[in-house]
Amino acid sequence: MDTLWYPPAIACYAVASVGFITDRLSGGRRWTRPSTIALGAGAGFQAVDLLVRGMHAGNIPVANFEESLAFFSWLIALAGLVLIVRFRMAVIGALVGSAVTIGGVVAYVTMRHARLVLPEALRSVWLPIHVTLAFLGYAMFALAAVVSLTYLLYESRLKAKRALAPPEAGMPSLEKLDRINYRLLAWGFLMLSAAIITGAIWADSTWGHFWSWDPKESWSLVIWFMYAALLESRLTVGWRGRRAAALTIVVFTLLVGSFVGVSLVFPGKHSGSFG
Amino acid sequence: METTFFILGVNHRTAPVAVRERLAFAEAEVAPALRRMRGTAASVAEAALLSTCNRVEVIGVASEPARACDEVASFLGADRSVDLDSFAASLYRLEGREAIRHLFRVGASLDSMVVGEPQILGQVKLAYALAAEAGTVSLVLHRAFHKTFSVAKRVRKSTLIGHGSVSLSSVAVGLAGQIFDTLKDKTVMLMGAGKMAELTAHALASLGIESLLVTSRTFDRAVTLARELGGTAVPLENHKPYLRMADIVIGSLAVTRPILGPSDLETVLRERRYRPMFLIDLGVPRNFDERLNTLENIYLYDIDDLDAVANKSLSERQREAEKAAVIVEEEVESFARWMRELEIVPTINDIRESMEHLRDVELERHRAWLLSLPEPERERVERLTRGLVNKLLHRILSGLRGNGAVAPDPLYTAEVARRLLCEGSGALAAAGDDPDDDGEPV
Repeated sequence: MDTLWYPPAIACYAVASVGFITDRLSGGRRWTRPSTIALGAGAGFQAVDLLVRGMHAGNIPVANFEESLAFFSWLIALAGLVLIVRFRMAVIGALVGSAVTIGGVVAYVTMRHARLVLPEALRSVWLPIHVTLAFLGYAMFALAAVVSLTYLLYESRLKAKRALAPPEAGMPSLEKLDRINYRLLAWGFLMLSAAIITGAIWADSTWGHFWSWDPKESWSLVIWFMYAALLESRLTVGWRGRRAAALTIVVFTLLVGSFVGVSLVFPGKHSGSFG
Repeated sequence: METTFFILGVNHRTAPVAVRERLAFAEAEVAPALRRMRGTAASVAEAALLSTCNRVEVIGVASEPARACDEVASFLGADRSVDLDSFAASLYRLEGREAIRHLFRVGASLDSMVVGEPQILGQVKLAYALAAEAGTVSLVLHRAFHKTFSVAKRVRKSTLIGHGSVSLSSVAVGLAGQIFDTLKDKTVMLMGAGKMAELTAHALASLGIESLLVTSRTFDRAVTLARELGGTAVPLENHKPYLRMADIVIGSLAVTRPILGPSDLETVLRERRYRPMFLIDLGVPRNFDERLNTLENIYLYDIDDLDAVANKSLSERQREAEKAAVIVEEEVESFARWMRELEIVPTINDIRESMEHLRDVELERHRAWLLSLPEPERERVERLTRGLVNKLLHRILSGLRGNGAVAPDPLYTAEVARRLLCEGSGALAAAGDDPDDDGEPV
């Protein structure tokens, strides 16, 4: 179903993106505050939209790919806001804003034709817990990829001794970007682990077995191992900086590829959503 | 009387330091010097003295600026015991708009050796405070200095004149801030005791670092330097074990070939678990092998790299200075307008008085008739004449204040207006005496 609240949310995201991008291009900070407020307003509108949808569906509104995409965009917007406000990472605003705008628009355009009925088997208290945890994990990984991309761009500039952003432009240091990347990965990993565990419990209560090697389940496990290896390399060998950032981006690309691919190619219990 | 703003002085462009240092005044000397100047330079109405390492300037107000400048120049020579001829060629004398523009530019740091450096405004403020203390500041200088401060503030707010690092040590500190989030838990290692290296280490240490290691060719030198900078001395032949503690290494040793190469740092990096290192090479010949920059998480900047960043900031500031010049021009215009108005104030007062006088005289002439009128009627006549005078005055005064559009030479126009309108000196005054100029019955 459509709600009145979704288009204004997308409009706010778009405004925020334009503001953040303007600041990045000009090297200034003039639009950071208004853009942050716009991003917050967008997240607020979408929260109402999700609430209305959820009440209508009687559960968390993730019954199909479009709705899942909308929900996922919202989580990224929220997590991005936390980074921008709490950790002064306005620098990621341009990428985060564009991502949620595009996600929002794609979801909106495709959603008009969607009729959603949640299968009886999936109506459970575990649905919101499992899905939210999984999506939150992915949102963290997505933001980690954004932060890593920023790190790589910035690092290559410092290495090449090219035009350095003056500190006034509010560019975080390499050390900070690296640390935030690590924290996002750690949190994302925790969420993904919890999502897999809750999924298993839910599967057991519905179908009587914890694990059924559904394509999505298998891929989640692969992704889980990849992130585990990424964190392990940092904690034991001390891989950080450029190498960690590059690996974060590679693993996230694999994650997106596998999940979109799996959703579209292999039908399974998880078909209908991409998470 | 015409008051003109003037500035006389020397700066880093017109005079070498050998001349500037002889003319300079210490902070405590400024106020007494201004008082002495008031005694000898009689035609100076108001004065302030700005003395920094880059300039010595007397900012003043006088009705005859040329004479005032001569007097001030001789005063400077006599007071500093410097032969006037030895610095006369370096002196600049500015009057009116030129002088106002100069003061604004100095305050906004557009005239500084390093454009945009922030100290100058504080020095101008101090000069103002000292002149106020000496009692040599009055209406014009008060206004001029306050305007200078607001111009400087406006320039700083609307241009990027103060942005970017322009000295090697501040570039290095800026880069450290882009690599590291905080220096509080970082160790700096200073290798060698070059002047620049020492300055850089000092600049970093003053931001608060975890510890400072110092090594030098001779251990004694290292110990002395470590004591000066509050660090720990490390013998040069045994510096390798300490390297892995160092997040920032500053090199300025006199060496024939690089003291640190990729093979040295590869092990160090592994031991550091790839925590980033910032290598600042201020040595010539270079202390660190340039291939080090290709190692992961190592950022190597040599003296030329730092210089390039500094020059880039400097040229950006230069561009910003052009924007600032436009702002200064606007403010000069507005200040000059204020000065012009100030000049015609006496004339305006004269004209006002004379018109009021005319009115009084006329009312007096018709006193008998006025007294015969009933009270309300009399008041109406009062109001009518006052209204007429005020309307006329308003026209004349706004014509005089016409920002140069109506009056190209406001002083001359004001003088003509005075001649025409004031009693005893013109045609109108004579007409005012003619009893037949009104048709009212006596």
